[in-house]
Amino acid sequence: MRLALAILGAAVCHADTATTTQAVTVEIVAAGKLSVQVALPLAEQTSPFGNFVGTLPVNYRMRTSAVGGSGSITLQAAGEFSPTGGPTLAGSALRYTCGGANLGTACAGTQVVSQAAQTPVVQVPSGACTGGGAPCSAADPASSQLQFVLENDPRFSTGVYTVRLVLTTSSL
Amino acid sequence: MKHLRNVIVAAAVCLLCFTANVNAQFAATGTTTLSLTVASEAALHIDSPTTNLTTATTVFDNYTGTTNFTYKIRSTKTGGSGTITAALTTPFGSGGPVLPSGSTDLQFTCVVSSPGIGCTSAQKVNIVDAGTVATFATDAHSARAGNSGSVLWTLVNDPAYETGTHTATVTFTVSAP
Repeated sequence: MRLALAILGAAVCHADTATTTQAVTVEIVAAGKLSVQVALPLAEQTSPFGNFVGTLPVNYRMRTSAVGGSGSITLQAAGEFSPTGGPTLAGSALRYTCGGANLGTACAGTQVVSQAAQTPVVQVPSGACTGGGAPCSAADPASSQLQFVLENDPRFSTGVYTVRLVLTTSSL
Repeated sequence: MKHLRNVIVAAAVCLLCFTANVNAQFAATGTTTLSLTVASEAALHIDSPTTNLTTATTVFDNYTGTTNFTYKIRSTKTGGSGTITAALTTPFGSGGPVLPSGSTDLQFTCVVSSPGIGCTSAQKVNIVDAGTVATFATDAHSARAGNSGSVLWTLVNDPAYETGTHTATVTFTVSAP
């Protein structure tokens, strides 16, 4: 009896071991996001009647599809200058140029800020990605700059004027 | 402990104070509010840097001449004003016209386009007295390229003057406080 009990105890201590595998997959899709400062004051370049100027840095992270992909950053005004009596977007008062994009290509020439349509900031090609070095960009985040110019027209009434600008990323 | 907590709270509030102009979080879109402060301003360009005063006769008729200028103005929207003045900053040299305080030998009249209000009577200019060329009301605005004006000079032809060329400097000043 004692021997049988010992054998029974030995049978309980030795468990079976089994393994199984499961495939884990992730679909990496195109993505993009950006960050800008929440306020940009323009300053008069010279006095009297010098243009108002200011520079807006744009930081962004983007991944575009390897085949047939693309990405972009665009800008559009969310409304007219407020209050009335000062500059107007309808009068093409606010313009910008783009510079120094270290991922993709900055916009060429002078752009007129519009409330009705998006205007270009950066264009990113297919197979692009941010950070970590080749094949992605060295900088993380990537960056570009917008230089704004607004003519100091004597017809503006004195006061403080503001306009909201929205930058949007798109990546395929 | 309470003091330490208060210090920590104060530090956190101060950190929030500095976030007003820092970047927002990364997102698919970003918004910035662009602003500018438009102040009162004034500018002046003398279109004829040298004004020659001439007389048409040889019988002591007065000398006359015209100075043309272009001005830009934006006066304050509420309670604003502006002026253009002309002052004798360097008098004629020895042997030329003498223009002491109160002298009316050198005078001008004005033609100034709106929004400027040109002088309505002859203005005397001497070593003390400056003449007012134009005034501006509150919320005055020139055209984008500026507006025109002229000063028509008259100088008494005093026999006491020596023959020769005599030069003085008149300084025009525009302001919009």
